[in-house]
Amino acid sequence: MIRFDDIEVTFGEHIAIPKLNLEVEQGEFFTLLGPSGCGKTTALRTLAGFIEPSAGEIYIGGKAATKLPSEKRSVGMVFQNYALFPSMSVRENIAFGLKVRKTHRAETDRLVDEIAAQVELTSEQLAKNVSELSGGQQQRVAIARALVLKPRILLLDEPLSNLDAKLRVQLREQLKNLQRELGITTVYVTHDQEEALTMSDRIAVFNHGVVEQVGTPEEIYNRSATEFVATFVGAMNRLTGEFMQQLRHAGGSTLAPDKSSYLRLEKVALQEPAHGASVRLHGVIADRVYQGSHSTYTIDSHGSRIRALVPEGGALPLVAGAAATLYIDPSAVLQY
Amino acid sequence: MRNSSWRAMLRSPLVVIVLVVLVWFIATFLVLPNANLLISTFFPDGKLSFRALEKLISSERALKSLWHSFALAATLAVTVNVVGIFIVLVTDYFKIRGSRVLWLGYATTLIYGGIVLAAGYNFIYGKNGFITNAALNVFPDIDPNWFSGYFAVVVVMTLATTTNHMLFLGSSLAKIDYQTIEAARNMGASTWRILWRIVLPALRPMIFAVTVLTFLTGLGALTAPLVLGGTDFQTIAPMILTFSKSSGSRDLAALLAIILGLATIVLLAMMNRVEKSGTYFSVAKVATPLQKQPIRNPLANVLVHVAAYVLFVVYALPVLLIVLFSFLESTAISTGTITWDSFTLANYATVFGTPSVLKPFVVSVVYSALASLIVVLGMLFVARVFQKHRNPVTTLLEYLLHIPWILPTILIALALVMTFDRPNPLIGGQVLTGTTVLLLVAYVIVKIPFTLRLLKAAFASVPESLEDAARILGAGPLFTLRTVLVPLVLPTAAAITALNFNSLLDDYDTAVFLYHPLYEPLGLAIRASTEGENNLDAMSITFVYTVLLMIIMGFTMWLVYGRGGARGRRGVRRGTRRAGAGAGPGAAAAPVAVPVPAAAVATVSPAPTPAPRA
Amino acid sequence: MHKRTFKTASVATIILSTMVLASCASADAGSGEGQGGGDAGGTLIVYTNSNGDGRGEWVTAQAKEAGLDIEIVGLGGADLANRIVAEKNNPVGDVVFGLNNMFFETLKDEEAVTAYEPAWAAEVDQESGDPEDGAFWPLVEQAIVTVYDTNKVPAADAPTEVADLWKDAAYDGRYEVNTALGQATPQLVLAGLLAPYLDEDGDLGVSDKGWKQVEDYYAHGSPAEEGTDLYARMARGDVDFGVLPSSGITARDAEYGTVTGVISPADGVPYVTEQIAVIAGTPREAAAEEFIDWFGSAETQGAFAAEFASYPVNEKARGQALPEVVELIESLPKQDIDFALTRENIGAWVEKTELEYLP
Repeated sequence: MIRFDDIEVTFGEHIAIPKLNLEVEQGEFFTLLGPSGCGKTTALRTLAGFIEPSAGEIYIGGKAATKLPSEKRSVGMVFQNYALFPSMSVRENIAFGLKVRKTHRAETDRLVDEIAAQVELTSEQLAKNVSELSGGQQQRVAIARALVLKPRILLLDEPLSNLDAKLRVQLREQLKNLQRELGITTVYVTHDQEEALTMSDRIAVFNHGVVEQVGTPEEIYNRSATEFVATFVGAMNRLTGEFMQQLRHAGGSTLAPDKSSYLRLEKVALQEPAHGASVRLHGVIADRVYQGSHSTYTIDSHGSRIRALVPEGGALPLVAGAAATLYIDPSAVLQY
Repeated sequence: MRNSSWRAMLRSPLVVIVLVVLVWFIATFLVLPNANLLISTFFPDGKLSFRALEKLISSERALKSLWHSFALAATLAVTVNVVGIFIVLVTDYFKIRGSRVLWLGYATTLIYGGIVLAAGYNFIYGKNGFITNAALNVFPDIDPNWFSGYFAVVVVMTLATTTNHMLFLGSSLAKIDYQTIEAARNMGASTWRILWRIVLPALRPMIFAVTVLTFLTGLGALTAPLVLGGTDFQTIAPMILTFSKSSGSRDLAALLAIILGLATIVLLAMMNRVEKSGTYFSVAKVATPLQKQPIRNPLANVLVHVAAYVLFVVYALPVLLIVLFSFLESTAISTGTITWDSFTLANYATVFGTPSVLKPFVVSVVYSALASLIVVLGMLFVARVFQKHRNPVTTLLEYLLHIPWILPTILIALALVMTFDRPNPLIGGQVLTGTTVLLLVAYVIVKIPFTLRLLKAAFASVPESLEDAARILGAGPLFTLRTVLVPLVLPTAAAITALNFNSLLDDYDTAVFLYHPLYEPLGLAIRASTEGENNLDAMSITFVYTVLLMIIMGFTMWLVYGRGGARGRRGVRRGTRRAGAGAGPGAAAAPVAVPVPAAAVATVSPAPTPAPRA
Repeated sequence: MHKRTFKTASVATIILSTMVLASCASADAGSGEGQGGGDAGGTLIVYTNSNGDGRGEWVTAQAKEAGLDIEIVGLGGADLANRIVAEKNNPVGDVVFGLNNMFFETLKDEEAVTAYEPAWAAEVDQESGDPEDGAFWPLVEQAIVTVYDTNKVPAADAPTEVADLWKDAAYDGRYEVNTALGQATPQLVLAGLLAPYLDEDGDLGVSDKGWKQVEDYYAHGSPAEEGTDLYARMARGDVDFGVLPSSGITARDAEYGTVTGVISPADGVPYVTEQIAVIAGTPREAAAEEFIDWFGSAETQGAFAAEFASYPVNEKARGQALPEVVELIESLPKQDIDFALTRENIGAWVEKTELEYLP
């Protein structure tokens, strides 16, 4: 559906994206993930047609689109701050694109009502001024405005970052459901790895304008291709020095001694696992943070601080200062 | 990232049309006439003459006057900020009883200025002013001349130029995120600390912009020093005025004006930089509307109230006095002996008894309205192109458009008459001298810099994502401009139109050489009825005209800033709040885009001024 | 559609408003030319600096009675002269009167006025106008006098020479000096000060002694206050002496209850003569000449003198002038000022004074 082919973007002397190759499938929820300034928004704006690449070609639906102006690319976009037109009502905002196309009035009304129902905006809200709506409602207006033209592609630029945490989680699901219903190819930009993992079909992790890994959320999380991906997505224990030696000594002899080594928190068990090979290491509980469904323990062990996630309802809790045993499967250790 | 590439700029037909028209206009009406005049002035025999420079350097008086102009500008930059910020704070930030009435009092400078304003203060505090007389009765040792010189000029001009703060700083204040203030209070910050560390820093870009314009106003000061400066404190503007009227000394006038112009350019460059770096948006996700702050310390509260009302009286007195004086015999005014018998309707009878007294009003209203509309409409396109495409060409064009700020109005008018007195191919072989069009052209020209500056700032405060949004929805540049951007800058555009209209209404300097004999504008009519050796009622008649002008100007401001008294102000602010409360940071900055200030004394001074800065 | 509507609307607004102005402009020009060709038909544009105090209305009304349709355009002297020179390639005005000899010398020099011998040429002293070329003709004479209120300063205490004002410390700061050197009267004062000291070897044709006079004159005077009349300042006691064109005395005495005394120096006082001329290149030359014949005639000038306390140059008209005016003018000797030379130099003199001597 979408293909970035050797795309390069420069701003004056500065090279924002050196060479980007990506492919997004039809109907896919594709996320560009990375820290701020990594080039993900630039990639999105290039796709939208706001930025002209200095080299390379963008294909949309198999056709070269690099020279197409943004309005001819059949893309809808939701901006980080929604970019709702403050001088217009909600209905006028949604109908804006239709008005540009000189859609018949009755048809416009019908399409606006239809999309409003889909994003759960009431007719009362449609009559309001955009500034009278809450943040969540504004976001829905922005989505409706982008979708009413029935674009082939929906672009979302951090659409949840302006909302408070609880609303964010709630809207995450709604957005994903809407996308699934419509089956629209979606490119989503975020710096929030949790958002990326929960919503995406596939994720491209950006760093300094370069895609470090493209894959499903599971691949990104469990088989992080690079050190950057490993540390950026999800929490990690970094294993060093004496702890590594002990680990290798205790059974992880296949691990290379001189590489950076990481271990996910949930891969550290404090109770003997029912199955699977594991090595034991000893440590002392330094701290425990209770988080409802689970607790995070911090254990000092062989000169390293190791964090472990323990689900609620186990035989623990242990208290600070108590001795603990760590059960680690060496094959879960990621080395770069 | 603003797209500044050449290709992108020239790809849009709209931009190309705007640029072509603009280049034609600048070449025809700004560069060609003024270059002609300046070349014939500085190269009298085909080679450069340093006569003017030598004369200037050897004249102690000219250098002193020049120094005074700069000193005044620098002083005003400080004093106007102190008073202006105070005014904005007591009307918009602190809980002050009767703040709406205070606002009206402070706003009086919007509807009058120039000679009448200076005279008004002189009648109160001057040598024969009634405050001075009253004080002399109690303390006979006071110097009756206490209100003159540098001190008096600074006081009067400070009060007269706070208009910028009122119009533009006030609207910036309304955009401050109230949560930042709440947060600071929560951390135990005092009222003053919040003001000093939170509120004022947030206003900094606007304060800086207002300061620059205040500085320019000070540089061009004309009437206040003439009336109140005495022999010790005269500025350069009157000298420029005298010299520009004599063909032999025009090079000196131009040189002096160019020196002030260079200062203007330096400040302009600074202003451009601030605009580039300092566009301030609230960073809050959900901005909370500003609430008025009570002053907790009872003593401070009383002091601020007292200061606010004293200032109110100081502001309102001259206006009341002018209205009162318009009903007085002129001898009673000039000799300062007012009795009940002195009251008369004769001044009004004189004005309204003049044959066709109404016609100059109509002529000026039509000219001013047309000129202010044309200039705002044209600059909407130009400012948009400049703001969107930054490259050496647009930068050059932008600086060229500031020529009217750099040359005295009189020179510009003369250059126009002399250039268009023969068929000119640039305007299709037409002759403009002696037609009604030339004055309109001149009015449009002199209002360009002010209009451009403000509109550019207004466009700058519109978040770019709005344009992107419109574009991706298929809207073309014109459709976007009309439906998305113009509604957002409309409050600013309306305010500029009103300020331009008011300032052109009684223009004299531009019109004197350009007006069509059958369409005499108001400024000329006022002069005509106040000049003449036997006309002893000149001042009274000026007062009558001032009162009439105040009514028209007041009405214009009311149209823009609020129908139904202060309601409009509230409306404006409510708009901000709504936007702030809802539409997120981008939109919050937009609806009340009345940014960067006006050189308001320049724009609303009923007296003739040599340069638009005065 | 929308794009076009907006574009069309905005472009139309500008074009339309410009056309409105252009059309009424060209209509005026058209009607002017059309009727101007037919002698005295069209409205004659009369430029003057002497329209204040109801003079403009009076002239318009009287001209109408005489069958002349005129429109008075009143501007200050310097502004008016500048405007006529600037417009000389495409003149707007048809005839100009009221400016003094100095301004008219400039207009003649710039070829902005054209010679015409009026019907009343024999009734005026040619010397007061332009005896060589007859480019402009004299109407009214005025003396630029130093005045005081005899109620406050007895005539016996007043100085006999104007120069005493700055030479005698008793008058220090007690006389008003007008520093607005762009205007006509202050320029004449300056010319009068310098006239006795012309010296080809001196700076700008004036001896050092002459410049010393100027320096002292401004240094010891009290600068005029913008917007405050001289007599108001005398009434308040700010100053005792000041300069005024003689035609202004009558009205002020009536208004302020003063009895004006005039310093009459032995060398005389500067006189100015207001002139009239046809503006060069006017399409309504015939009408302009007709206006000049009428306005300068003994009858019109006599009526004008009676109405506005002027002193007409036309000898036949003098009979109708106010007796006190005639008495005053005839009591004041004329200072010998070379106006042709003055005109050539006044710009430079003003500039030097402005740069070096003004307070």
